[in-house]
Amino acid sequence: MATTAPPKDTAIEREAERWMNDPYEHFGYHNTRIHSLPREEVEAVQLAAMNLRLQERRGQVQMLAKLADAQDIQQVGTLEELAPLLMPHDIYKSYPQSLLAKQQYGKLNTWLNKLTRYNPEEVDVSQCDSIDSWLTKLRDDTPLDVGASSGSSGTCSFYPKSKRDYYLSMMGMRVQLAQKFGEEPKPGDIEDKIHAIIPLYKDGHASMGAFGKYSCEVFCKGDPDYWHYCFDFKLSSDLMWLAARLRAAAAKGDVSKVDVPPSLLARRAEWEAAQKAMPDQQLAFVNEMIDKLQGQRVFVMSTSNLLYAAAKRGLDEGLSGVFAPNSVFMGGGGAKGVPLPDDLEEVIEKFFNTKRMISSYGMTEMNSFSVLCEHDRYHVLPWVTPYILDLDSGQPLPRKGTQTGRAAFFDMTADSCWGGLVTGDVVSIDFDHQCECGRTSLAMDKKINRVSEISGGDDKISCAATPGAQAEAMEFLTGFGG
Amino acid sequence: MMAKRPISYAVLRGEVVETDLIEFGGRGGDITFLAPDPHKIADRIPLASPRLMEDMYSVPFEGILDYLAELGPRLELSKNPYMQEALEYSYDTAPSTKPIVDAFYHDLPFMFDKERIRKMVDFNIGIDHLEGWVEQQLNGCTVGIRAYGSRQLHIVAGNGPVLGALTIIRGAVTRGDMIIKVPSNDPFTTGAIARTMVDMAPDHPITKHLAVAYWRGGDEALESKIYQPHNIEKICAWGGFASVKHVTKYIQPGIELISLDPKRSASIIGKEALESPETMTEVGSRIAADFAPGNQVACSSSRLVYVMCGTEDEDIEKLKQLGQATYDAMIDLPEVISTKPKRYDPDLKRQVDTLRLTDDFYTVIGGKDGEGAILISHTSDRVEFWEYLGDRTINIIPVDTLDEVLDVVDAYTQTVGVWPDNLWDVVRHKGALHGGQRFVELGYGFNGAGLVGPQDGIEPMRRIVKWIVSEKPLADKVPLWGDTAKDVKMLA
Repeated sequence: MATTAPPKDTAIEREAERWMNDPYEHFGYHNTRIHSLPREEVEAVQLAAMNLRLQERRGQVQMLAKLADAQDIQQVGTLEELAPLLMPHDIYKSYPQSLLAKQQYGKLNTWLNKLTRYNPEEVDVSQCDSIDSWLTKLRDDTPLDVGASSGSSGTCSFYPKSKRDYYLSMMGMRVQLAQKFGEEPKPGDIEDKIHAIIPLYKDGHASMGAFGKYSCEVFCKGDPDYWHYCFDFKLSSDLMWLAARLRAAAAKGDVSKVDVPPSLLARRAEWEAAQKAMPDQQLAFVNEMIDKLQGQRVFVMSTSNLLYAAAKRGLDEGLSGVFAPNSVFMGGGGAKGVPLPDDLEEVIEKFFNTKRMISSYGMTEMNSFSVLCEHDRYHVLPWVTPYILDLDSGQPLPRKGTQTGRAAFFDMTADSCWGGLVTGDVVSIDFDHQCECGRTSLAMDKKINRVSEISGGDDKISCAATPGAQAEAMEFLTGFGG
Repeated sequence: MMAKRPISYAVLRGEVVETDLIEFGGRGGDITFLAPDPHKIADRIPLASPRLMEDMYSVPFEGILDYLAELGPRLELSKNPYMQEALEYSYDTAPSTKPIVDAFYHDLPFMFDKERIRKMVDFNIGIDHLEGWVEQQLNGCTVGIRAYGSRQLHIVAGNGPVLGALTIIRGAVTRGDMIIKVPSNDPFTTGAIARTMVDMAPDHPITKHLAVAYWRGGDEALESKIYQPHNIEKICAWGGFASVKHVTKYIQPGIELISLDPKRSASIIGKEALESPETMTEVGSRIAADFAPGNQVACSSSRLVYVMCGTEDEDIEKLKQLGQATYDAMIDLPEVISTKPKRYDPDLKRQVDTLRLTDDFYTVIGGKDGEGAILISHTSDRVEFWEYLGDRTINIIPVDTLDEVLDVVDAYTQTVGVWPDNLWDVVRHKGALHGGQRFVELGYGFNGAGLVGPQDGIEPMRRIVKWIVSEKPLADKVPLWGDTAKDVKMLA
């Protein structure tokens, strides 16, 4: 698929470099300007950035080199031509599971090394005896801050992002959430310290934990007095992984087959106890914050379900909170496969006395979050190129009209990894429609599904096991017998 | 000119229904087809009363065999326009390709061979149990047991067109009343067989005790009407997860579920396989014969192949050669047995392509053209997406010990292929304890007793009948009345 290089336009390349390096600084942290760029300009910069990144990263990220070599792609002439180089999210869990169970972090480093431009392989991890200690060591000794997440099948993904990636991600939140689109930035939207309320963990290697830490940097300007978290400890990736494996094993009917070190298995009770005590602690924490920070500008970040639970309990107990009107509440899907209650926004808005709770769409493997507008669309930041892939063929659908398919993205701000990602989500974009909210940026419909939820038909019966059937069957039959 | 729209005929107890047609299907690129509105015929699907089972007992077992033996040749494609039409439409709906579907249809009449069926019944149930009471003396009584036909609903799988025929044979020989809900990936074949039965013997009890129809699985209004204890006694659901899930809602006292659960199959191979190029060629052929037939749509198709060869570098090098031999053998299989899949699952393709990038841990042989692929693990780990393996894609995994293999044999395991013979006893015994249900010599998973045998651990034939007990006292049995009543020991 080799194509001839587009004529070199150094002005566009310089612009692309600015977007790639720190787009928020480049646009003066100006939310309205960011979402008002003309489409042609955006796409020209995106294309230039893709070629710059491809050139640079193929020498740094071995998996990308392999992929590009296999497809014989040296450079791309259109946005579509990059589609074969978007990496399936599965690549971040493509190591043999036994490496984790046997605590072979050195070998895992070798694997991770091929996915990032930094060099985890150079770090001596021979003394590490847990996922937490391994990832902490990498964080201490390299620019990396690897994002870990456990899936329902009992596997664990590792996305080797950098501290810079997290910083950009959090800055994107502040820029998009603290400023109302269409208005000039107010003094303090970016410079002031804002109280960050994180009804979760202080730290951790999963997004839910890591965001706590980076919100201190970006929202509180590093001032610990402005940084409020519920759990003064790290969300343990070891326990999350153990939980996922135990769930998967229980669904198969034999927990004794879980291949985890006994030291970790011994912490199961600890994890279960913590889980149990959590809702009460979170509620107490939220109540304390209401008491302490009345009338102040706050940034609250959590999963929608957690905010809902806190608000619901609060309302039941006759409480309600009053923060400053320019406070920001952000919830997110987060919990995989957990449906959101119908009265979600109503309950949260009533309890926190806020006009609007903002949702966003994003994932560990991307820096840039898409924020939901008043017209229920998730607006993609201009440094991100969204693709809609045909669910069957995996080929990119035309960038015109309304398209629905598997979401894929190229995020040019990715600092550590390649930035091209194929997700497991099904989204819709109307490429020709400019949103009524006034933003010129491309936007995804609010309704987002998982690919796994929509594939397969009821009547196509085959006696060969279908993926995930066991787990679902167990869940169903348990409920049925009740 | 409009092409003729395919119809999934309802055939209800000797009557072909082709009115009130409505459209179904059409998902995932399939064709749409017409079928009688199931709500309009819902009342005629179940047998009105258990009393109507009596006529089946006017036919002796030999008479049932005669009926089936006469039906078989009538299903020959060249003579049967219904089968011709069903075949034509099935190319679009079937999960496998034209040559394979052709072969299924070609071989289908031979399933009705009298002696084959006789042996099948005798092995699975015992003809004497169907023909009368099998009696013994026990505890001062003559106790007898007999297999009676039940009123049964079959939710049939669509992996291959033979499953409808097999269900009809099983139902007929057990004197059952059969309702067959046909699947959307095989909506035509069973109806064509039933139409042939109506032409052949419209008033015969076997014809009268067959109702074939299509409805969308999960049609709650319809199913809650039919799936009632006064209509049916047994539901035999093949293991599509969704279908079983829908059905469990209706299980209550009086309805028994025979669930042919979702299952997978595997192969367990000794290190001898890697001894020489000759053994690799032979074992590669045996592996291919156990996973590629019918393009791997069956639960008995192997998906994970464990080789007890160790995990050192030289072991992996040899394992790659075995993988290549397996790939070559797959490609060499005749097209009536296996072909390039109709449509390679795009999700699987994505996963296989991702695996290619991880060549420190895995070797991928083939798969670039959607023809199927051999995935060689370099560690004792199966691929992360092992649950999705299909479309002629297997994972060959090196292990050091048998225990590592047995860890992955579980309640969802159906067939286990074993080679060489020195592993047979230990794998069969230990594998059974772990959950394996059927053990075969590697290479004969599709070329043995198969569905004519007990199928797998579920034993559907033995379970679709009702086992009825009769007891009569012997002459010297002491009754529970009179002077001696107090001396009787009441033992459970």
